[in-house]
Amino acid sequence: MKIGAFEELVLLAVGALTDNAYGVSIKELLREKTGKNPSIGALHSALYRLEEKGCLISSEGGATAERGGRRKKYYTLTTRGRNVLIETSKLRLEFSKNIQGLNLRWDGL
Amino acid sequence: MDCKPNFRPPGLADRFLTWFCDERVLETLQGDLHELYGQRRNKSGKLIADFNFLLDVIDVCRPFALKRKSRSIYLNNNIMLKNYVKIAWRNLKSQPFFTLLNTAGLAIGMTGGLLIAMFIYDELSFDKMFADSNRIYRVNIDMRTGGETNYYASVSGPLAATIKQDCPHVEMVTRFRTMRSALLRKSENDDNVKETHVAAVDSTFFDMFGIELLAGDTRTALKAPNTLILTKTAAEKHFDMSDALGQRLLLNNTETFKVTGVIDDFPKNSFLRDHHVFVSLESFDDAYSKAWNNFRFPTFVKLNPLADIDDFQGFLNTVKESYVIPWAMTFVPGLTLERSRADDKKTGNFMKFGHIALQDIHLHSGDRQGEFSPNGDVKNIYILALIGCFLILLACVNFMNLSTAYALRRAREVGIRKTLGANKYGLIRQFLTESGLISVVSLAMAILMAYSVMPFFNELSGKAMVIPLSDPAFWLVIVAATVLLSLFSGSYPAFFMSKFIPVKVLKGSQSSAGGANIRSVLVVFQFAVSVFLMVGTLVIFQQLRYIQTKDLGFQKDQVLVVDDVSAAGNQMASFKQQVLQLGGVERASLSSYLPTPSTRSGITYFVQGSFDAANAAIFGHWKIDHDYLSTLDLEIVAGRDFDERIYTDSSGLILNESAVNMLGLQPEAAIGLKLTSDFHRQDKENMKFMTVIGVVKNFHFESLRNNIGTLSLALGSGANRMIVKLNPGDFSNVIRQIEKKWKAVAPHQPFNYYFMDASFNSTYEAEQKLGRIFVIFTILSLFIACLGLFGLTAFNAGKRIKEIGIRKVMGATAGQITVRLSIEFLKLVGIAVFISLPLGWYVMNKWLEDFSYRIEISWWVLASAAVLAIVISIITVSYQGIKAAMTSPVKSLRSE
Repeated sequence: MKIGAFEELVLLAVGALTDNAYGVSIKELLREKTGKNPSIGALHSALYRLEEKGCLISSEGGATAERGGRRKKYYTLTTRGRNVLIETSKLRLEFSKNIQGLNLRWDGL
Repeated sequence: MDCKPNFRPPGLADRFLTWFCDERVLETLQGDLHELYGQRRNKSGKLIADFNFLLDVIDVCRPFALKRKSRSIYLNNNIMLKNYVKIAWRNLKSQPFFTLLNTAGLAIGMTGGLLIAMFIYDELSFDKMFADSNRIYRVNIDMRTGGETNYYASVSGPLAATIKQDCPHVEMVTRFRTMRSALLRKSENDDNVKETHVAAVDSTFFDMFGIELLAGDTRTALKAPNTLILTKTAAEKHFDMSDALGQRLLLNNTETFKVTGVIDDFPKNSFLRDHHVFVSLESFDDAYSKAWNNFRFPTFVKLNPLADIDDFQGFLNTVKESYVIPWAMTFVPGLTLERSRADDKKTGNFMKFGHIALQDIHLHSGDRQGEFSPNGDVKNIYILALIGCFLILLACVNFMNLSTAYALRRAREVGIRKTLGANKYGLIRQFLTESGLISVVSLAMAILMAYSVMPFFNELSGKAMVIPLSDPAFWLVIVAATVLLSLFSGSYPAFFMSKFIPVKVLKGSQSSAGGANIRSVLVVFQFAVSVFLMVGTLVIFQQLRYIQTKDLGFQKDQVLVVDDVSAAGNQMASFKQQVLQLGGVERASLSSYLPTPSTRSGITYFVQGSFDAANAAIFGHWKIDHDYLSTLDLEIVAGRDFDERIYTDSSGLILNESAVNMLGLQPEAAIGLKLTSDFHRQDKENMKFMTVIGVVKNFHFESLRNNIGTLSLALGSGANRMIVKLNPGDFSNVIRQIEKKWKAVAPHQPFNYYFMDASFNSTYEAEQKLGRIFVIFTILSLFIACLGLFGLTAFNAGKRIKEIGIRKVMGATAGQITVRLSIEFLKLVGIAVFISLPLGWYVMNKWLEDFSYRIEISWWVLASAAVLAIVISIITVSYQGIKAAMTSPVKSLRSE
């Protein structure tokens, strides 16, 4: 399973937001964490791809007034998505061990 | 999130998003965008929020968001096809009245269209059957002398040899010589048979036109003098076809000709269609004459395959100065090239050699002197094509009108279909299936109708067309036309009906079928076309009547013409005396020249004392006898008629007013004037002069399309016709007596006669044909328009049945209700009349411009067309109105 760097970020954000991961909130979180404002098109495009790949599943939520009565689509990580995240993190950790001065740790390992 | 609800992002961008975005992602995406918009709006204000929204919309325009086609729809459609046909059939069956109106209208329109298309196809097919016909051209001459331009289809005799010798672009030259009619008989027989179209031609005839001999040898046929070839028909007429070859025929009782070949008849769509006898050119003394002023030889050339027609025209442009003028210099003293040029410049005279492609002769040559057969006119083709298109358009319009009007009845069906999951395209397909079904049925009816009226139409149009039922190309065109037609006429109703909104139609809130405006426009269009055609018909017929009743300056009623009297030889004069003694005969005269179509010739005169080429006057030249003017009631305006007691009258001359005008004189002043046509001779002192003894009032001896030409009348012999003025009474008896006298003086010679007014009327055959065709198609278009109107009013009355019932209960009379129902349609007809009258007036004025003598379109022609249209539509409309008004209100109101 190959996912891109931006997809990985999106996946992380969805995981972080747990029950409240939908378009706007994901965008907010990413901006907060990365300091860069992701484009909404790129975000949805990534969400769509991740869903296709089976890393995310979506469910429809309630409509709100500020959305003009349109329902939100909430995303949740699948097991597969979770595994993908573990795998990429592992990879980074492996590499970082061999780089002097880097001392990354991951408690889960 | 504390953002205010109900901020609306820019509508256009939002709609764009909705348009391109796939339904499955739209809701989420749009929701997010709106939410973001709300946030930004709170934070940064409208402008920035709007701008960012726009950027976002553009940003989400990515592959994942775009609409995708769903394959399942297509699968379903093919399964539905059978169902469409079934439903279409049931629908048509359940509304027989509507179906009948629709099919009848379409079928009639298609019949008209089919007939016209075949007519045009036939006209366009002329002379294409000859081998290499695209390389064959005919040479023409346009010549202007003495203020008058003449157009010739036959040219000078020496031209053919000149081209053959000096023009490298030409592969072959064929020369005809005009002869018109001739009397023929087998040498051993006594009875003459008349052949109306005889031509002489040289032996290249076969190679030029790719003609094969059924009997005989192309290498020898037509080579020798006094030989001829016959068509199959002529061969069967004069001999048994099998033994025609080598037989001898006596031509005009004088010369014997040997039959050296038999060819097939020429097709009806060739310029030689009426010709059955071709005499060898060698038989004529003037075949090798060097004279360039004798335009008796229609000349055809076949270009080299690589040559360009412009090269040939370039050669023709040099003919006058390189050949004609040098020839004229041999007998006109002092003539030089420079002088001839100067004269032409001063007088505006010219002599131009031109060309016309063989295939163009029928439609583009017009009415040149020396044409082989009467030609068609491309203008009529345009008119007919226009009428044909109108007819089909009218029928389609009818279909659209009725279909949309009746659509309301099917609104519920559409609603239910949509609710059950039919999409727009499926419905469109269904309605197109229905229109296709109607088109196919109409087409079958149209072919049947066209087939059955074909003989009648052929008679009318003077053609011999058959519907090519066995020709695959014909069916291909027909199928293509049907598909196009059903798509065209069915598409509007289909799109219209498939747009119904299920909620509305099922609730019954869509009370009007809609599209009423378009229907009104279409009704206006239909009636505008009909009224326009009516104006056309009325004007054509009025002009025809004007021509036929106009005072022509000569007596054409009760005048009998006996043709070919020269067959009586020296008995001619005695025959005339015998006829004069008959009880029913008033006067008689011998002459070949008639004011109706007959022999024509021209002559060049100079007034005594002014032999300058610029003063040449070309007059028509008729040879007549002493009784000519009195027989035809021609009026003398100055001087006198020829007198038998004055022997100098043999060199006397009577001019018509036009001729005198051209000389720049008053009629009285012209008397005594001396003219000569004898200027060729070298010994000027012996030149013969003619003295003008009288001036005759102008009379129409050409078609009324033209102005009256110049004319000179002189005594002369060699007449071939006798004109007999009859007393009122039993003509058939007199004619029988004349025939008896004829048989006595000229046994075995055919007695050919006709009345002059009939011959005069035949001059206007083209107009009469056009008029009759106009009548038919006017009636057809009116009929179609009325069918449509009838259907619409029936529908309308049905829709308002309750309203009518209530009105009746409230005391309205049947008359009031009828008026109420009719008036809205009559308004439309009124508008149509208003539009088409000026148009008709304008177009028909253009048509009349072709006539030198014409009517003015009077107001009552326009008025009567308008009244007729209105009356017919009142009858159509009020039938339904009255029917509705007479219905008992109890019946119509019962159900509610």
